[in-house]
Amino acid sequence: MNWFTWLGDFFSDPDRRSGSNAIANRIAEHLLLSGEALLYAALLAVPLGLLIGYTGRGVTVVTAMAGAARALPTLGLVTLAVLLAGVGDTAVLVPLVALAAPPLLVAAVEGVRGTDPDVRDAARGVGLTHPQVLWQVCLPSALPTLLAGFRTATVQVIATATVAAYVGLGGLGRYVVDGLATRDYAATVGGALLVVLLAVAAQAFFALLARYALPPGLRAQQRAAGRRSS
Amino acid sequence: MIRFDGAGKRHPDGTVAVEGLDLDVPTGRTTVLVGPSGCGKTTLLRMVNRMVEPTSGRVLLDGTDVAALDPAKLRRGIGYVIQQAGLFPHRRVIDNIATVPYLLGWDRKKARARAAELLDLVGLAPETAKRYPFQLSGGQQQRVGVARALAADPPVLLMDEPFSAVDPVVRAGLQEELLRLQSELHKTVLFVTHDIEEAVRLGDQVVVLRERGRIAQLADPHTLLTAPADLDVAAFLGRDRGLRGLGLRPAASVAVRPIPGGPGDGAAGRSPHGVRFAGWELMLDDGRRPIGWIDRDAAGAALEPAPGFRPDADTLRAALDAAVLSPTGIAVALDPEGRAIGTADREAVLAALATRPPSANGARQAEKAEAATGVKAEATTDATAETDGAGGGR
Repeated sequence: MNWFTWLGDFFSDPDRRSGSNAIANRIAEHLLLSGEALLYAALLAVPLGLLIGYTGRGVTVVTAMAGAARALPTLGLVTLAVLLAGVGDTAVLVPLVALAAPPLLVAAVEGVRGTDPDVRDAARGVGLTHPQVLWQVCLPSALPTLLAGFRTATVQVIATATVAAYVGLGGLGRYVVDGLATRDYAATVGGALLVVLLAVAAQAFFALLARYALPPGLRAQQRAAGRRSS
Repeated sequence: MIRFDGAGKRHPDGTVAVEGLDLDVPTGRTTVLVGPSGCGKTTLLRMVNRMVEPTSGRVLLDGTDVAALDPAKLRRGIGYVIQQAGLFPHRRVIDNIATVPYLLGWDRKKARARAAELLDLVGLAPETAKRYPFQLSGGQQQRVGVARALAADPPVLLMDEPFSAVDPVVRAGLQEELLRLQSELHKTVLFVTHDIEEAVRLGDQVVVLRERGRIAQLADPHTLLTAPADLDVAAFLGRDRGLRGLGLRPAASVAVRPIPGGPGDGAAGRSPHGVRFAGWELMLDDGRRPIGWIDRDAAGAALEPAPGFRPDADTLRAALDAAVLSPTGIAVALDPEGRAIGTADREAVLAALATRPPSANGARQAEKAEAATGVKAEATTDATAETDGAGGGR
């Protein structure tokens, strides 16, 4: 037995072509769960981060807390959430949101703080109100940083959403966990590979977004920033 | 009119940026605040549009205390230009210019049409509209910054070192452009700079500030250069202030000797001309534009440059410069198309210097300064009297 035969077995098994254990179904479950976690994390972290970044109040606290939050063991959080909330979506969503929120928060804060002070001054000076400055000037300026934060958060969440299987939920983690339990290493390896592929695909998706979806003025700014830092 | 009424600014940490200033900025004219860094000039400018709130005194705009107005609404009625232009990087030039019209709720079409007008007014090509700020040079960005400030046609323009970040050649061009704009638009301009040269070039009225926003002298540029209030102001003006003063006087007063005759028939596109001076000859091309001076006494001598000036547009300083640089000591007078219309030697230029400038008040000040042989003229302008009042602190 080697990796290739395992993978061959994994992908040729008719069980994984249709039904609840089908690869397409598991990927859909995995993405749905990840997406849900990212959505909640974004709703929580982005507005807060924009506000903190704009006012400049609480930046040190947020940075310290975000750093500490990254050290939280996800599996431990899952266990804690199960103990508190019982088996269910919440038990997995809480730790995933806790995982995704810090990079988003930091990205939002840093993105807004990175706005050229002259541009902010000019925006105020020509008569934009504070909400207008935040929305029309700071948010666009924060987009590249924010996008990078989303990329980090997404890759982490996709990789970690595997833990959902531990509490009996679906997703690609099922293959890994079930494979380990039944010594079906083909399933474990295949599931792990799919998680990796999905994470890489997410990474590529965000790279494309940064390249083609940002307003041209910002793309140039980002390139310039990239040159400076390299 | 903008009136500073004992306006002062004390920072929370106790440092005083401005002690308390009384100053009138007259409508439709350019007032320049100039002084060393830390003299509070930018603080004063920012008090007008409430980017800085005075901690004492008031700033009145046409009689209304600006503190009583909503800051955002107030600012939409005041043009604002800063050193780094501060253009929005994610918006095209046209939308940058239309910022204030959009804020005022104009419809998109009207706002953009207005922005296109301004693009033309500040001397930018129409295709610039579609560009992004990062695609423009520093000077072009600054022009867009001025266009943005003018978009809603505000009566007041605040300019905070707008030309300090561009190279001297571009800066001179921008200054020229501002003078031209101002001669058409007659805005109430409050301009801040640390560059005294820029101040005397642009200002109808120049306010020299000392530390903590105290007025060292308030005067028109000519008076300032010829009769500085005290040694400090004289030192700030620099050693060659007399020469720089020439930059304020038109070259039209130079007596130009017309060049006799029409285009000659010289070979190789050059027509040797009859202007001779100690063996030198001025060469003109077929379009009567000067090519250079040639030394007829030296065999095989190379052509030397023939500097010129335009009596209709240049200043006495340019005329003198041309005469000094010319190998013959003769400056060539040019028409707007660059054709030679006459010559003026150093004596002619110096003779023009000796005549009194047209401003009677300026002339009196100049006499006073000359009478008191040293720099420390007893010239007490209105400004110095005012300084004492302002310095009293409120």
